[in-house]
Amino acid sequence: MKKSLFDKIWESHVVEELPGGNALIFVDLVVAHEITSPQGILAIEKNFGDQLYDPNKIVSLIDHVAPAKDTATAIQAQTLRSWAKRQKIRFHDIGDNGICHVIVPEKGYVTPGMVICCGDSHTGTLGAFGTFALGIGSTAQAGAMLAQVLILQRPKVMKIEVTGELAADVTAKDLILTIIKTIGFKGGTGYALEYTGSAIRALSMDGRMTVCNMAIEAGATAGLIAPDEKTAAYLAETTLKPTNWTAQQADPDAEYDRVVTIDGSAVRPVVTWGTNPGENASIDGAVPADADPRSLEYMGLTPGTAMKSIEIDQAFIGSCTNSRISDLRAAADVLRGRKVSVPTIITPGSVGVKRQAEREGLHDVFQDAGALWTHSSCGPCLGMSVGVIAPGTRVVSSTNRNFPGRMGDGGRVHLASPQVVAASAVLGRIAAPSDVAALAEAVPA
Amino acid sequence: MIISGPVLPIPRANIDTDQIIPAKHLTTIDESGMGEFAFTGMTDGPALVAAHPGAVVWVAGENVGCGSSREHAVWAIQGIGIKAVISPSFARIFHENCYMNGVVPVIVDAALIPRFAAAKTITIDVANETVQADADAPVPFEIDPARKPFVLGGGFLKYLHSKIPEIRAWEAKRAAS
Repeated sequence: MKKSLFDKIWESHVVEELPGGNALIFVDLVVAHEITSPQGILAIEKNFGDQLYDPNKIVSLIDHVAPAKDTATAIQAQTLRSWAKRQKIRFHDIGDNGICHVIVPEKGYVTPGMVICCGDSHTGTLGAFGTFALGIGSTAQAGAMLAQVLILQRPKVMKIEVTGELAADVTAKDLILTIIKTIGFKGGTGYALEYTGSAIRALSMDGRMTVCNMAIEAGATAGLIAPDEKTAAYLAETTLKPTNWTAQQADPDAEYDRVVTIDGSAVRPVVTWGTNPGENASIDGAVPADADPRSLEYMGLTPGTAMKSIEIDQAFIGSCTNSRISDLRAAADVLRGRKVSVPTIITPGSVGVKRQAEREGLHDVFQDAGALWTHSSCGPCLGMSVGVIAPGTRVVSSTNRNFPGRMGDGGRVHLASPQVVAASAVLGRIAAPSDVAALAEAVPA
Repeated sequence: MIISGPVLPIPRANIDTDQIIPAKHLTTIDESGMGEFAFTGMTDGPALVAAHPGAVVWVAGENVGCGSSREHAVWAIQGIGIKAVISPSFARIFHENCYMNGVVPVIVDAALIPRFAAAKTITIDVANETVQADADAPVPFEIDPARKPFVLGGGFLKYLHSKIPEIRAWEAKRAAS
């Protein structure tokens, strides 16, 4: 049988087959952050003392609440910090940190063919480098730190081929939101998504990470993209080593459990109107007539409302989905020389991204526009710190989840690309970058 | 092992883990104390919990537990006494987290959900893999065979610990090849 890339990675990591289609899968790297790791650390210490399979196969960092916002989160950070020191585990403390899915590639910890897990659902981001990377719970993570394996049921593999070229105004974010809408919010459950096709190949590594990041939002176990010269060029800078990527490819004519083909040239910029990422519409369209009434009640919207007529209270650019340097450049291109009309927070994905943005003067662009330029954290995306929104308020956000209450109790979230968030911040309503440009042309100099 | 008792019927689709427990409560280093916050991410969640005191089985809609990997969602429902979740479909990580904590995930046909949601008492025979609404005929369901021992008796970390010599041998072989 001709094998997918996923099949090859899976089969090269099976330590033992188990009943029910399960296997003990070897994990090459465990990523541990301060919110979901302390519980597993304590469980290991209680039962097995200081045993770990291999501290060199763990990377730890502070990302969700950075720096600590209160005593409880300070204790979380300190638990991880002291454990990492005691166990001689690589640790990225505040000042050298960032969102885990941004830090791991940036610091050169990921290479094609790896299996990587983290107690964080967006771990699939790392699939952009031709890995099997997945989110897990705290107990499974403890198991992976103790014994370097996961018990996993082998997922089916769905090939998602995106043909043609994306239009100039269409981003990786628009593509993944369109994919989720196409296969359904739970349409990927039980699958690994293997993205291929010319439109995927054309994406930057940052764009590929965005597409893999949100595989979980279709319920998928993981998303992955076979490495190519672009991957190798990225990894040459981060790992400082040549990457052997040519073996990490699907066989020609590999067999898949399901194949979905999407015409890349037909994808349009989209914005969500509902309470899951699949509930989205073209930015030039309207809330659909058949929209789920429960979603609309929460969002305070009615069918037929033009997306661009929706007024917003806040804007946010950040998160593991869209906080990398190319995301910030795209936002800066919209904001340069303009002013935001609603409170706007811009949060870089890591200290490294922040410093790069500042070398390019992007922080001046943002701050001249009146946006708040923060340090890196996961904070606002999950309503945890640095920008929780008030009940009933509406935010356009470059994040990954528009669930009820996600960014703050009773808050309403519209997911979009960084450039759409930036344009919306300027106009105070959902807007495309072209709307901002048109406005500028209409105003006499 | 028999689980039997009153029902918490919230048979809505796509109840994500942010609704089960909002992220603002994920600030501890252990599993305790999460029950206080169970379902506080749903507008009517606390009222539903209060209206069904003593519930041991949560009847949910499809794609239950989607979203964040937070195991706190399972610790939260355990904290209000839930010992099993019945749904037509589980999101993968929540499903795994249920197994890891001995909360029995019960997958049944979507057509049966209204009946279970209306039941006064649900009885689950975990060892024999049947679920019963009131005095109806028991309905079979499946527990993943690789995880069933952990549901019945815990011991997940001990099991993996016992595998370490085998895993090290596997890794040495991989390094040599």
